[in-house]
Amino acid sequence: MSLLSALSVSASGMAAQRTRAEVLVENIANSETTRTAQGGPYRRKDAIFSSQSVPSAFQSELDSELSGLQGVSVTGISVDSREPERRYMPGHPDADPDGYVSMPRMNPAEDMVDLMGASRSYEANVSAISAVKDMIQRSIDLLR
Amino acid sequence: MIDGLTNSLEHYMDLLTARQKLVASNIANADTPGYRTKDVNFQAELQTANSALSPHTVEVGGLPVKNDGNDVSLDREARLLAENAMRFNLASNLIRSQLATIKEAIQEGKSS
Amino acid sequence: MGNPISAITSVPSIVAPMTTPGQSSQPGAFQNVLEGAIQNIESANNNATDSVQKFLKGENEELHTAILAVQQASIAFDLGLQVRNKVVDAYQEIMRMQM
Repeated sequence: MSLLSALSVSASGMAAQRTRAEVLVENIANSETTRTAQGGPYRRKDAIFSSQSVPSAFQSELDSELSGLQGVSVTGISVDSREPERRYMPGHPDADPDGYVSMPRMNPAEDMVDLMGASRSYEANVSAISAVKDMIQRSIDLLR
Repeated sequence: MIDGLTNSLEHYMDLLTARQKLVASNIANADTPGYRTKDVNFQAELQTANSALSPHTVEVGGLPVKNDGNDVSLDREARLLAENAMRFNLASNLIRSQLATIKEAIQEGKSS
Repeated sequence: MGNPISAITSVPSIVAPMTTPGQSSQPGAFQNVLEGAIQNIESANNNATDSVQKFLKGENEELHTAILAVQQASIAFDLGLQVRNKVVDAYQEIMRMQM
């Protein structure tokens, strides 16, 4: 498959990083949410990445496996199944009879750093598309 | 084959293309657990005289591995991205100049 | 005065006539060169067509490979054209000599 397939690869990277960023933002926004629609505090979510052959109308999956060309996709969102943190806050409306509130088990600072990483990775994919596009254009210019 | 130089340059462009595709894959998988950086053995492939076979993909190794088994370094990939693009630019310009020279040589033989 | 000048008869060709390759009984150097050029054009053209089609279909062909194949066909054509022009020029020159 020609260089054009690299564009699909980078596009898949951008999509995956966007999804990852969305999940991280949701985590950060809900770092103090004690009451969710499902009942109980917010549970931290994680986007699961895995390599994926680039879907192409033309070429077989086997070819892309052989050449090492692999895109990426988010194959699922995992939800934190650990027990929520219990904090002693007696006046809180969601406090249980002992005065403890179930809080989301997460560290928003970590997720903020992760978000920066997702942004950086996203930009790297954008650069890749730009560089590849340039190379393709130069090939076309050989016709002049 | 147009001429030896053009052929070598075309082979060079083949390698750069293969390499750039892998750089794109590495960047896309920069956060994929267990993914290892891929590349082609550029120097070795350059030596093999203009082979028609696709260059062989290898795992780079020697890169620091993160906790999730991923060893992609965005710095390395960004550097290669720029380098491959520049080399490709050079090769395509050289080929263009070669083709122009050959065509001119043919045209100059024209009788009045 | 000597023998009467005989009518102009056709002189055995010094240069083989411009027949399609393979039909002449007396291949000359010019014809070989022209044949070679035509074969070059044909094979370069076929190669270019195949290469471009492979690329368009998305098979394992790089864009620059297809484009260089097209350029090669173009060069082969230019060269063949110039060779043919030279051969025709030479033929015409020789024809002029016979007058």
